[in-house]
Amino acid sequence: MIDIAGILIDNILFVALITLGGVLISWSVHFVPVGGAPAAMAQATGIGTGTVQLAAGAGLTGLVTAGAMINVTDSLPLILASGAVGAMIMISVTMIVGTWVYTYGVGVPPASAKVDYDPITKDRQDIYVSQGTEGHGLPTVSFVSGVIGGGLGGIGGAMVYYSLVNITTGLSATNLMGLASIFAVGIFFVNAVIPSYNIGGTIEGFHDPKFKRWPKAVITSFIVTFMCSIVGVIAIGGL
Amino acid sequence: MSAGGSGGGAPEAIPQNKLIAFGVIAGLVGVYLSHYLVAYVSTAFSFIGGLAAICAIVWGAAAVRRVASYGLGTGVPSIGMLALGMGVVASMFGLAVGGIAGPIIALLSAAIIGLVIGVLANRVIGMGLPIMEQSMTEIASAGCLTILGLSASMTGTFLFDAVLNNVVATGYIAVIFIAGGLAILHPFNANLGPDEKQDRTLMTAVEKGAIAMIIAGIVSITTDGAASAPTILIGLFIWYMAFEQYRKYVDRDAYDVVGVGLLPTEEEGSE
Amino acid sequence: MEPLMGMGVLAIIGAAATIAGASEDLESDVGSQSNPNSQVQLAPQMNYPHRIFNKAISGEPPSNAMLGAVGGTVTSVLMNAYGLSVVFAIAAGALVAALIHGTYCTSAYMGRSASQKRFRQPIYLDIIRSHVPVMMGFAYITTFCILVVSYLMTAVLAHPFPLPLLAFIWGITVGAIGSSTGDVHYGAEREFQNVEFGSGLNAANSGNIVRKAESGLRNGIDNSWFCAKFGGPVTGIAFGMTVFLSGWITAVFDPSTGTTAGWLSVIAGAIIVLALIIWNRRIEVAARNTYGPYKEDEVEA
Repeated sequence: MIDIAGILIDNILFVALITLGGVLISWSVHFVPVGGAPAAMAQATGIGTGTVQLAAGAGLTGLVTAGAMINVTDSLPLILASGAVGAMIMISVTMIVGTWVYTYGVGVPPASAKVDYDPITKDRQDIYVSQGTEGHGLPTVSFVSGVIGGGLGGIGGAMVYYSLVNITTGLSATNLMGLASIFAVGIFFVNAVIPSYNIGGTIEGFHDPKFKRWPKAVITSFIVTFMCSIVGVIAIGGL
Repeated sequence: MSAGGSGGGAPEAIPQNKLIAFGVIAGLVGVYLSHYLVAYVSTAFSFIGGLAAICAIVWGAAAVRRVASYGLGTGVPSIGMLALGMGVVASMFGLAVGGIAGPIIALLSAAIIGLVIGVLANRVIGMGLPIMEQSMTEIASAGCLTILGLSASMTGTFLFDAVLNNVVATGYIAVIFIAGGLAILHPFNANLGPDEKQDRTLMTAVEKGAIAMIIAGIVSITTDGAASAPTILIGLFIWYMAFEQYRKYVDRDAYDVVGVGLLPTEEEGSE
Repeated sequence: MEPLMGMGVLAIIGAAATIAGASEDLESDVGSQSNPNSQVQLAPQMNYPHRIFNKAISGEPPSNAMLGAVGGTVTSVLMNAYGLSVVFAIAAGALVAALIHGTYCTSAYMGRSASQKRFRQPIYLDIIRSHVPVMMGFAYITTFCILVVSYLMTAVLAHPFPLPLLAFIWGITVGAIGSSTGDVHYGAEREFQNVEFGSGLNAANSGNIVRKAESGLRNGIDNSWFCAKFGGPVTGIAFGMTVFLSGWITAVFDPSTGTTAGWLSVIAGAIIVLALIIWNRRIEVAARNTYGPYKEDEVEA
């Protein structure tokens, strides 16, 4: 029988880091401006897809870049930064091309319906919202918010993965890598879905009133990721 | 989903409790049976793991159907990603620490994590879906059993060393994750609409479960402990039967099935 | 690795990813996948039955992740068990993925249409026969290109993730990008060509999608013809840019040569992101000036 308490004490730092990573992922989703199905018809501000999907796409891109970085360096800040940059590139490329489509393909200017003035550029928003819609496209504040969200998600995903591959274990490198990566993907999905229920599937960014709900999702994610991290550390550390 | 939630629970020809019993018992028994039959009789019996996965998938699809018909505020797929995320963590944990009791420990830990998420979703996030706790528990457990069943069918056992070397380190766990996940999610999503019927949705689950089983059979080519041909052939057979039956249900339920045609003519003074 | 070699591989990866992005978006236009499909699903309910393919495979990212993971699995099995060359293995893997995609498309169309009995939405078998092979074709191209990207990353760029997992992740990413960019062109413009360009889509118009084509009744293939002019290519650029730029920064500043280079790659990435923010702002200003406000300014700003 494996020594559960001993493994947990040895790896208590990683339990904490995994939990922190999960909480970061959960918080990050609140920044990502997604409008769900209405945004795909240019009826709501934000990216025209689902929260979970976009967060997963960005975060997993970050995981890929962080995974490549872990192979060549031990520096935690560098690994986290590369995860953040990978996710930020994915999400900002997606948003800029989204802006092309809204502006040139659909012919609507970016506008937010939640605030009258863009908090960053101070541009008037409400009169640029077309009739019968909840805004459209990605005004600067949503774009910046999305970049922040991508970055935080990338850091979170990289932190989870880094912690999992550094647990003291008897596994071979290939096996450890495989197990850690699928655990990281699983933890990522769990923490991407929880906040999307919290915001009801759509949010414009950090200026959206819904953003204030984030503590609820973060508490939920904290508890759930803590359980997952204990389970993960015992599973990997016990081998 | 805009046209999804009717907000009142879906009518069920088969009660959910029977499906839970069916999923848990058939899933667990199947996983154990495939392990022991492969160990003591022949590697050809690894296909039983695939059958176990199909049973768990049907149960999971029924649970998704039940909770998603309340309307989740976001797409149907999210709940399945959540379930598979929990399921993969729990099943790897169970197998890693449990040894021969692995599948049971995996199932229990999936159920516990699912229950906690369900409780938190209602109490902290305030989703207020009356069946959220039960459904999250069910979906996480079904996801976990699906992963176990497909892994057993790929390797012929659920012992962790074999699963780790042949399924996790090689990355085939990703296909288990998504093929199992889509088999649980797709049925309700594919049959979304006001005239959705339980038997048709569950038949889709059988059909998609059979596809996951076929893929597991293909993977078992690379493993010594499992035979691939029986899994692939039985999977193809189940897929064909389920698809034929699904077509019959579609013919029964559809407004009209036409080879080619114009739009239905306007009737009853509709504009 | 030689920097030039890395750059060459990266160029192939970027090109393959661009094709994958474009074919992914066109596949979703033929089959009306993802969010714009909510209007196709809604139309019969608003008394507009139609001949447009109606499907959803649990959202675009999971369905493409399925393609990638199945393709990657079959490829990996064929290479490991039979020693098949990578080109054949990828071709076979993409074929299996496309076949499975076909069954998912069929069950989605039949199931969703059958569940709309009370709105008198028939199932047209000729739509299945003509559209499913097209979708399988696009799915094949997407899977093939994703597998090329994933294989080169594992085999040449020495990425530690196994091939099926990498293909799974790129599938999620291409689906997320496709549903965020190209699908908007389909959902906001093609489905509602009956409203004036640039007028925005009033929520009151929901479900009133265009059902007549240049000739006959409109179907999904007509939609992909339109989206191939803008939505598809830009989706390709988006996915190609994502894959290329995230690899480019580490190819130029190779982190294996030391921590300094690693940090330089992070800085290069941050500069790219900053440039994109500024670009977005410039487009925003240009669009506001060109299109102008919809309402007169009642309150003094």
